Amino acid sequence: MNNVKKPSIIILIFSIFLGMFMAGQFKQNTPTIAPVTLRSIQTTKDNIDTLNKEIEDLNALLKEKEEQLNVLESIASGDENIIDVLNDELEKYKNLAGFEEVEGPGVIITMQDNMAEGPFGENFNSDVIHDIDVLRIINDLRCAEAEAISVNGQRILSMSEIKCGGPIIRVNGKSLGTPFVIKAIGNPKLLSAAINAPNTYAYALKHIDQIYIELTTEDNIRIPAYNGKFNFKYAKPLKEGD
Amino acid sequence: MFFALIGIVIGLVIGLVLPFTYNAAYSLYISVAILACLDSVFGGIKANLEKKFDSSIFISGFFGNAILAAFLAYIGDRLGVPLYYAAIFTFGGRLFENFASIRRILLNKRKSETKVEE
Repeated sequence: MNNVKKPSIIILIFSIFLGMFMAGQFKQNTPTIAPVTLRSIQTTKDNIDTLNKEIEDLNALLKEKEEQLNVLESIASGDENIIDVLNDELEKYKNLAGFEEVEGPGVIITMQDNMAEGPFGENFNSDVIHDIDVLRIINDLRCAEAEAISVNGQRILSMSEIKCGGPIIRVNGKSLGTPFVIKAIGNPKLLSAAINAPNTYAYALKHIDQIYIELTTEDNIRIPAYNGKFNFKYAKPLKEGD
Repeated sequence: MFFALIGIVIGLVIGLVLPFTYNAAYSLYISVAILACLDSVFGGIKANLEKKFDSSIFISGFFGNAILAAFLAYIGDRLGVPLYYAAIFTFGGRLFENFASIRRILLNKRKSETKVEE
């Protein structure tokens, strides 16, 4: 008698366990049949984070627009003069476009050709500074959030070309010779890291091609305004609402 | 057989009444573990009908299979290989085999009983 009953009771007890597990699973109410893996949860989480970031950005934009609206309203009610407001804006955009002289903390980079005398007939091409070297250093500086850059007093604008001209380079249509003095305003730590850190382009130039590159950090650098002028011949602004 | 069904029903009622839940992230692992447990219970019923039931084998199989299945599913998830299929195929296949054996034993029993009556 006892021998027959015992297995049944054990099975009963474990079936109760099983039933409880199953109930837990039913309570989950998993909406899809596809298994929910940890990875898919991570992906969804990332998506949510991205969307939240977007919402934050849009809120910031909304705030900015509201401020603009406030300015416009104060003009309409006569509190502020429209000419002052427009002048302020003009200053701001001139500054952004590089038509204003600016000053601030930053770095000064001096570059000079390799003056060491090598054996005659060695490739002199790797001893001189090329347009591409300057261009890539400026790109590195821009990556490091430089706000204003000049080369030998020529302000680098969004339109500026850096072009090979034999022994010289041409920037903004002007010919510049060595030594090149690149000035950049921005966070001095970031800017010097962009030049000195191992595996940057400047580091390779300095250590492989033996080109003289010296970087000094200064609290107050003046960067001149762009002194030429350019007019758009082909690009016409698109009117709002078009 | 009926003990198991009664047990599962009681367990479901208890589980639904008690407010215990777990993280939804482990849902997949638990479901594979449940399959392993189900297989163990079926195996236990079959052994019981064959009068070969051993409680230590049953209990160790119940927990061991469940843990191994859940662990396999977890490792598969980490490695990017759906290893839980292994558990699903093994235990699912065995479930049907066990059920076939149980069916046969029960049917044979009935046949022999009717023969005795004749």
